[in-house]
Amino acid sequence: MKSAFLFPGQGSQYVGMLNDLPNDPVVKHILEESSDLLHLPIESLHNNKALSTTKAVQQCLLIASVSTYKVFEKNGLIPSFVAGHSVGAFGAAVAAGVLTFEEALKLVTLRGELMERTCDHGYGMAVVLGLDEYRLSEIVQQFFNEEEPVYVSNRNSPTQLTLSGSIKGLEKVIDYVKTHGATSARLLNVSTPSHCPLFKNVSEELLGELNKLDLKRPKIPISSNVNSRLLRQADAVKEDLAKSICYPVRWHDAVNLLYETGTRLFIEMPPGDVLTKLANQAFSEVRTMAISKSNIDDCFYVMSN
Amino acid sequence: MVLTNIPKVTRSWTTRLEAKKERMESVKSLVDGVIIPTDRIVEAMELLIRPGDRVVLEGNNQKQASFLSQSLVQVDPKKVHDLHMIMSSISRPEHLDIFEEGIARKIDFSYAGPQSLRIAQMIEDGKIELGDLHTYIELYGRLFIDLIPSVALVAADKADRYGNLYTGPNTEETPTLVEAAAFRDGIVIAQVNEIVDELPRVDIPSSWVDFIVVADEPYELEPLFTRDPRHITDIQILQAMMVIRGIYEKHGVKSLNHGIGFNTAAIELLLPTYAASLGLKGKICTNWVLNPHPTLIPAIESGWVESVHCFGGELGMEKYVEARRDIFFTGKDGSLRSNRTLAQLAGQYAVDLFIGSTLQMDGLGNSSTVTKGRVAGYGGAPNMGHDPGGRRHSTEAWYNMMTSDDPLARGKKLVVQVAETFQEANKPVFVESLDAISVKDQAKLALAPVMIYGEDVTHVVTEEGIAYLYKSDSISERREMIASVAGVTPIGMESNPKTAERLRQQGLIAMPEDLGIRRSDAKRSLLAAKNIDELVQWSGGLYTPPAKFRSW
Repeated sequence: MKSAFLFPGQGSQYVGMLNDLPNDPVVKHILEESSDLLHLPIESLHNNKALSTTKAVQQCLLIASVSTYKVFEKNGLIPSFVAGHSVGAFGAAVAAGVLTFEEALKLVTLRGELMERTCDHGYGMAVVLGLDEYRLSEIVQQFFNEEEPVYVSNRNSPTQLTLSGSIKGLEKVIDYVKTHGATSARLLNVSTPSHCPLFKNVSEELLGELNKLDLKRPKIPISSNVNSRLLRQADAVKEDLAKSICYPVRWHDAVNLLYETGTRLFIEMPPGDVLTKLANQAFSEVRTMAISKSNIDDCFYVMSN
Repeated sequence: MVLTNIPKVTRSWTTRLEAKKERMESVKSLVDGVIIPTDRIVEAMELLIRPGDRVVLEGNNQKQASFLSQSLVQVDPKKVHDLHMIMSSISRPEHLDIFEEGIARKIDFSYAGPQSLRIAQMIEDGKIELGDLHTYIELYGRLFIDLIPSVALVAADKADRYGNLYTGPNTEETPTLVEAAAFRDGIVIAQVNEIVDELPRVDIPSSWVDFIVVADEPYELEPLFTRDPRHITDIQILQAMMVIRGIYEKHGVKSLNHGIGFNTAAIELLLPTYAASLGLKGKICTNWVLNPHPTLIPAIESGWVESVHCFGGELGMEKYVEARRDIFFTGKDGSLRSNRTLAQLAGQYAVDLFIGSTLQMDGLGNSSTVTKGRVAGYGGAPNMGHDPGGRRHSTEAWYNMMTSDDPLARGKKLVVQVAETFQEANKPVFVESLDAISVKDQAKLALAPVMIYGEDVTHVVTEEGIAYLYKSDSISERREMIASVAGVTPIGMESNPKTAERLRQQGLIAMPEDLGIRRSDAKRSLLAAKNIDELVQWSGGLYTPPAKFRSW
């Protein structure tokens, strides 16, 4: 049975999350390495205050997912594919051997800082349920103006979409869609309008940093964010990592592609089980496990059988 | 005058045969008679299949030559490349892996539902050269005209040591694919689940077959036509009641094909209850071209059905079919004989009616099941869902579609489209423009992938009512009729109560009450079976549903 490991993005974090990782020397080692590289005690990364910053959230997500992945790797359990949602793509790239953990930690730190710097208050994201991307795009176009820009961003499922842009613009769209077909629409508790053209500069700076690195060819094919293709070349991964922040994450297609390629087991790295739930809703015939919710030994068992 | 200078004929008229002999010779040391050893299939394929070959690989929406497709993806692309694949259905990951690996280059197919995102991406990325999207009959037809295969890779249940094949209930399209290659000096390789001394019956004779190989595991088979009655809704029951009264009874529909949706399953389950209460037994729905749908069991057991010819089998229905030999086409051994080519032809030319559901319909009745960003193809619905102009025989229902007094007037096949006005996520079914048009542009197709053309549709059924499209030749009137049953969709909003009332008076549309149906009567309690367990009970325990459908 083909398997894929999924690496979660922003929204899955919670206070104290790094205390809940598998009890394994490999995890301990990554935590220590992170602390050294960031010149910070781990405790100061995943407390309430730290997690209100994009930077710390992205660092924590990378540390949690990669350290857990390393436990599988140590046990010789390598998935057929990997995929990461948004910043999760950096964890997936580490798992595939494209980036080292150290390189990835520097990149997500920079990414978080750039995102925080680029748009201050007045921007954010919203989630809309019950409309498809074509209908929502029509509506958003109708409302679009330069002062209060709004874009359709992530395609998490055919009818779970996010919007990114100015809060005022988002509120107008939310009010409209609530009475025009959406079953739910609300602002998300994030201060950055990710995955839309407002982050074009962030994307360019990230590309500059990525160009300084010697990226390796992926040992495991990566299902990508921007165009939901299987990436097998280092340059393609680089482009996806850089571009993703200013393009929508086509997550549903990325997972659908894995399904069509024969994947029937999806294991979600910590924290959380957001991606597992999406996979279950989209495909009734898949087996899914989230490390945060299952015993890791069960995952080992399923992987090795 | 006498011709004295006749040029001497120097060309050979047997080049294909000679080429075949040469290929057969090349594997002589590998094979044992007609048997390719299981562990040497990849080697054998590298010798028997040559670059640029047209290869027909059996795979349809039910049966898959899965061992052969998994083997083909392992051949060395340096030895075997640029293949032109011909497949009814692109279903399995390796069907497209062979293109990514550089083994195959071009594809002609009918259906790609299970790989519809991937193939759309590969077309966009130029990784696959698209021939055409076909209906089944067209694809089978072209196997004998301009897509003649050099190699056929097919699946059978059993073989004997001479290469005779038993394909049993899932004979499906195997004989057609084999015939196209075998009688044109192509090479036929069949994977079999086992080799036995004596076959239950011979479905394909050994003289059509070059090699057999025992697969490492039985071929893949999908229970595609099993619908659990638990999921049938009250709206689907209302629509089924309208179809029975307003179409089957009204026109005297005796021979028919049903699609695989829940709304047609509901019709099947209302025959022994609602339709019986109308005294219609023996008057409608007697002769079918249909797979062995488990939801047809109650109608068969109640004596409604005279005959059923099948495209393919259905997992779990084998024992039931054998025990109802009067109804199904069966061999001397007792088991079902299906044939997709002949069943499609029968469904195209010989039946009164085709009924299926759709996801999208425009104002003129053109319908499509495509989703943007996906290339899913067709399958069989367009063959059965059209009026074959060449038809000459008349039946009551066909004749009933005649609307003119012209001495040369003809009847029509009934083509019925059932839809609820909205699908999930508030998506209107009735739209100004079909998604098929944007798929055409995205995938650079020659034609927009329309499933059923509006000009062929005779009836549209929604939860609002029935539009009798066959009664009008006027495009604007047909549009009015569709709009008046299209609810609050963009098309439906064009309708106004006055027009609707006029159309009703003229008998061009009918609401449930016009047919003597009370909406409040449309309840699940009308279903002859409400779940899979009750279907098993109706069958006297002969139906053995696959595990995923068992709830006990």
